[in-house]
Amino acid sequence: MTNRTVETADTPIPSGNRSLSTLLHRLARQREYAVLALLIVTLSVVGAVNPAFLSGGNLRDMLVQDAPIVIAACGLTFVVLLGEIDISIGSLMGLLATALGQLCSPSHAALPVWIAVTLTLLLGTGIGLLNGLMVTLGRMPSIIVTLGMLTVLSGINLLLMNGKWITDLPPGLRWFGVGTMLGIPICLWAALFVVLGAVLLARETPLGRRIYAAGSNPDAARLAGLSVWKLKLFAFTLTGFLTAVATVISVPRLSVIESGVGQGFELLVVTCVVVGGTSISGGRGSIIGSALAALLLGLVRPMLIFLRLGVSASYWERAIQGAFILLAVLADHLARRTRRDARR
Amino acid sequence: MLSLTGRKPVDTREPFLEIHELSKSYAGVQALTDVSLNIRPGEIHALMGENGAGKSTLIKCLSGSVRADSGAVEVNSALLPAGDIAAAEAAGIVALHQESTAFPHLGAIDNIFIGRELRRAPGLLDRPRMRREAHLLMERLGESIDLDRPLEDLSLAQRQMVGIARALSRRSRLLILDEPTASLSARETQTLFRILRQLQAEGVAILYISHRLEEVYALADRVTVLRDGRLIGTHPIGDVDRGTLVRMMVGRELLEQEQSESIGATGDVMLEVRGLSRPGEFADITFSVCAGEIVGLAGLIGAGRTEVAATIFGIECARQGSILVRGVPLIPGSVRASIAGGIALVPEDRQHEGLVLPLSVRDNLLLSVMNSLTHIGFRSRWKERASVEKSMRELGVKAANPGIAVNTLSGGNQQKVSLGKWLATEPRILLLDEPTRGVDVGAKAEVYRLIRSLARSGMATLLISSDLPEILALSDRILVMREGRLSGELSRAEATEEKILAFALPAGLDASLETATETNIAAGSKAV
Amino acid sequence: MTAPNRKPVNETDIKIPPNRSSRVPLPTRNEIVLLLLLIGTLLLAGRLSPDFLSSRSQLELSTHVWELALLAIPMTLIVLTAGIDLSVGSTMALCAVVFGISIHAGLPPIAAALLSLLVGAGAGALNGIFVAKLKVHPLIVTLATLAAYRGIAEGISLGRPFSGFSDSFTFLGQGSILGLPVPGIVFLIVLAVAAIMIGGTPLGLSLSAIGFNEKAARYSGLAVTRIKLLLYTSSGLAAGMAALLFVARRNTAKADIGTGMELDVITAVVLGGTSIFGGRGRLFGTVLGVLLIHEVREFVSWQWNRDELNLIVVGALLILSVLADSLLSPKKR
Repeated sequence: MTNRTVETADTPIPSGNRSLSTLLHRLARQREYAVLALLIVTLSVVGAVNPAFLSGGNLRDMLVQDAPIVIAACGLTFVVLLGEIDISIGSLMGLLATALGQLCSPSHAALPVWIAVTLTLLLGTGIGLLNGLMVTLGRMPSIIVTLGMLTVLSGINLLLMNGKWITDLPPGLRWFGVGTMLGIPICLWAALFVVLGAVLLARETPLGRRIYAAGSNPDAARLAGLSVWKLKLFAFTLTGFLTAVATVISVPRLSVIESGVGQGFELLVVTCVVVGGTSISGGRGSIIGSALAALLLGLVRPMLIFLRLGVSASYWERAIQGAFILLAVLADHLARRTRRDARR
Repeated sequence: MLSLTGRKPVDTREPFLEIHELSKSYAGVQALTDVSLNIRPGEIHALMGENGAGKSTLIKCLSGSVRADSGAVEVNSALLPAGDIAAAEAAGIVALHQESTAFPHLGAIDNIFIGRELRRAPGLLDRPRMRREAHLLMERLGESIDLDRPLEDLSLAQRQMVGIARALSRRSRLLILDEPTASLSARETQTLFRILRQLQAEGVAILYISHRLEEVYALADRVTVLRDGRLIGTHPIGDVDRGTLVRMMVGRELLEQEQSESIGATGDVMLEVRGLSRPGEFADITFSVCAGEIVGLAGLIGAGRTEVAATIFGIECARQGSILVRGVPLIPGSVRASIAGGIALVPEDRQHEGLVLPLSVRDNLLLSVMNSLTHIGFRSRWKERASVEKSMRELGVKAANPGIAVNTLSGGNQQKVSLGKWLATEPRILLLDEPTRGVDVGAKAEVYRLIRSLARSGMATLLISSDLPEILALSDRILVMREGRLSGELSRAEATEEKILAFALPAGLDASLETATETNIAAGSKAV
Repeated sequence: MTAPNRKPVNETDIKIPPNRSSRVPLPTRNEIVLLLLLIGTLLLAGRLSPDFLSSRSQLELSTHVWELALLAIPMTLIVLTAGIDLSVGSTMALCAVVFGISIHAGLPPIAAALLSLLVGAGAGALNGIFVAKLKVHPLIVTLATLAAYRGIAEGISLGRPFSGFSDSFTFLGQGSILGLPVPGIVFLIVLAVAAIMIGGTPLGLSLSAIGFNEKAARYSGLAVTRIKLLLYTSSGLAAGMAALLFVARRNTAKADIGTGMELDVITAVVLGGTSIFGGRGRLFGTVLGVLLIHEVREFVSWQWNRDELNLIVVGALLILSVLADSLLSPKKR
């Protein structure tokens, strides 16, 4: 596989090698295809066993469940692309849920729903910004910062809750979770816009390319005049904002806001980002991959239910999630090997 | 010929860049002291000096990545703001640092345009235009690559070309190159020189840092020598001979490479390699090294020499073949087995493979030997101290005390620590991979003396080096590898640079046409 | 070695100063701060509520710190090598559930305990294989096993709790020998062993080297793969021990125990001054970190009886200590 060819000045601009070997090569490297394939396979298999799995109603339900994860994963992808991580988003979601509930519930602040939503979004963005500031200006490792914030935020959340769950949510709030526009639930519109926006950002804007660059080689990025710290600040702030969006479109579906909201969310989202092909060391990854991985992981519980394996089967959901990461890890390992061998 | 920068050639003798008494110190160490020089448009100005002489610091001050303590830089009589990368780029100063400025996961287009992206609208990239320009740039450089392929999948030379394309895409008045040919093949070096000369004709000045005297004489108009942070002199290249140049760098008479009588093999075969193969890297490697012998292993970058050494040492495992130490087969792929067999490898990348930079000199020196200095499993401080003292003394390591971090030492001293670490294990077979890379001239001579004296006391040495004079001076026998295979063997008496190159270059091809590079190893692997 | 005796270019010979090897190394700046914070906390506590400082109260309160302390030991070593183990809490749960099931299946406590420990070691070893042999990032591996192990625990126990263990077993968690709680004795033994191995054998320097530059460590002949495998296996083993201590103390085994434990352990280790990037760190610092978290948490509970404040204080403590450390050191990260 030589890369040297003698070309004259009027050969067409090469737009990518189309040979089969390169396609297979790309498949081994591009996680999105693998995840998509797995997604299709799983849908087909379970659908074959139990056709109700593929009913419009069920598909919509699954997508609605996945929406908040997809939204948060878009933000977290940028964070991981830069070589950082944010494990506080679960606690943040819990806190934002409590805040949202208390802001608009009649027995608390009783603010109009739109104001409550806006304030919640601002709060999420602000906390994301705080995380970003600690990582950039404070020069602290993100795992530690977000570990500390995870604890602090859940403490504040419990404090605010004061042991009382919020049960009287105004009907206007429910629209965010359950309402539809043109027949499609609001949350799916939100997820769609977020994904499209994130993909656009990643591929077609200088900011997106610079994020990839800064993740790929932070020193070179600095030498190229990039402000790596601003990029990181942006990524964390965006994650905070998107977590708030995810909260706003998912929490109103609940009838009660209790202290368990958001638990395990960060694990799920990080899993999606990793399984979707974003490398923890930065520079490599994609939004589409994270979104597809979120859909794939969202299949696990419905799959266990629809395969009618019995009540006990649902206890294995978390084990399967873990297995998915390990599979992704093995796939990475193999891909690294093929890449290395192909380069020879 | 297509113009690389779109400008007409300029021919003036007035300097456009003036450096006035630049000084910089780092944590008490004076890296530059009152350095003043000027650069004319269209000149190739070589910058030479031992490691630690201040060359990197000077470049960093020019390119804006570091702020000088005092002094000034003027471009066309306008003062350049210090420590400002953007300002330096705006003034036309572009520094090319090889690997450190590349984004391995991104393709060539991104690599060329990051930081200076072409936009269709505010916040939106103009991809088609960037692709067009990138293609044109690469074409003018004589390279044709897949613009979307991540850089890490391209060869070293191609990556370098992308780096140059990036530098060209900015309107540069001064191009700074730091050891650009270190990883290039002969053909690629010629291509680089051609491009540099063309740039020169268009009025772009080039500041060229290199340790290679032949290159400097071939390319440069003027040469500046730094020593210990001070400017020793700036002269037209025709006015200084090699000896003078070296003397300026070193400050003392450097004895010519002693063409001492080679000892040759004095004893038994210590290391024997038979039919060693690793698909994609090397095949059918068979040779032996006797006690007291220095066997040089020459070849182009990518010929597979480092991989052979890594396999002998146990870092990698051979697919076929065997390694015998004193006739006894060695367990493959086990570093511990190799060390137990008396093999030591001093790797070529001392910063990432040879040393643990944040640790102290003492800790680094002990790293490989501490397991044998134990007393019933526990560390013996007394034995360790003795070992460290011995290593530092015998190698002449210049350090205030063994407790200081090794990353504060100069390149030459670091290499001595790297060597000392292994010599403490009292090996019988020494594998040296580029032992004097990035080492200043003075320390080089010390290392040569050490290698020779080790051979005199019976060490079997395999010397991998891309420095042909070094190989010729030290080796008793020279093996040449080409594209993963052994292509020839020369005795000390018959060896010359030309003959080595003849074996190293692919058969039947002219040096000006395509030559063996990393990409052709794939072709070689098919034959495995 | 007969290198010629060449005078260095800079005239004077190198003088190698006598090695000032003190058996007890001086505390680092971070540890001094921790000690001050600890003393400060205890003084404040003593002021507000003197009874808190009585030895009886302290002993009573110490019951649940031993598991955290035990897990912090191998975690320190793992973080030293620039690794991490997020699965310790889940491994604890798995081991506890295995123990519970074994007892209820009729196995004698000793056999059940051994089986439990074996499972823990095995879980750790699996982590180790992925990290050391397959060279996968430890964050990812242990994130996966964090989910997988707890998932398996949930699966095989179906969420049921186990209880009713024999007195001779619960002595392990609730009893004391010569006034010291048994879990505390277990912890001290493990700590002593670890400290001796780190300080007295080449393992200590090896860990540091691996943490700073794994590639160079490998090239230097250190058995990196073997060491890492050992570390993760012992982390799993420690999780098994912690599980047994927990079950013995609370007389219950369920799949949700140890949730969030890994975060507490990492907090203690980082608070104690071990760098998350590897290379730097000490067991002594970790012990201080554990102590500080424990005293602060217990006092907050004691005085104000609100768990939420605990979380806020510990989280803030972690952030502030790392922030202070980072702002005080001028060097780039």
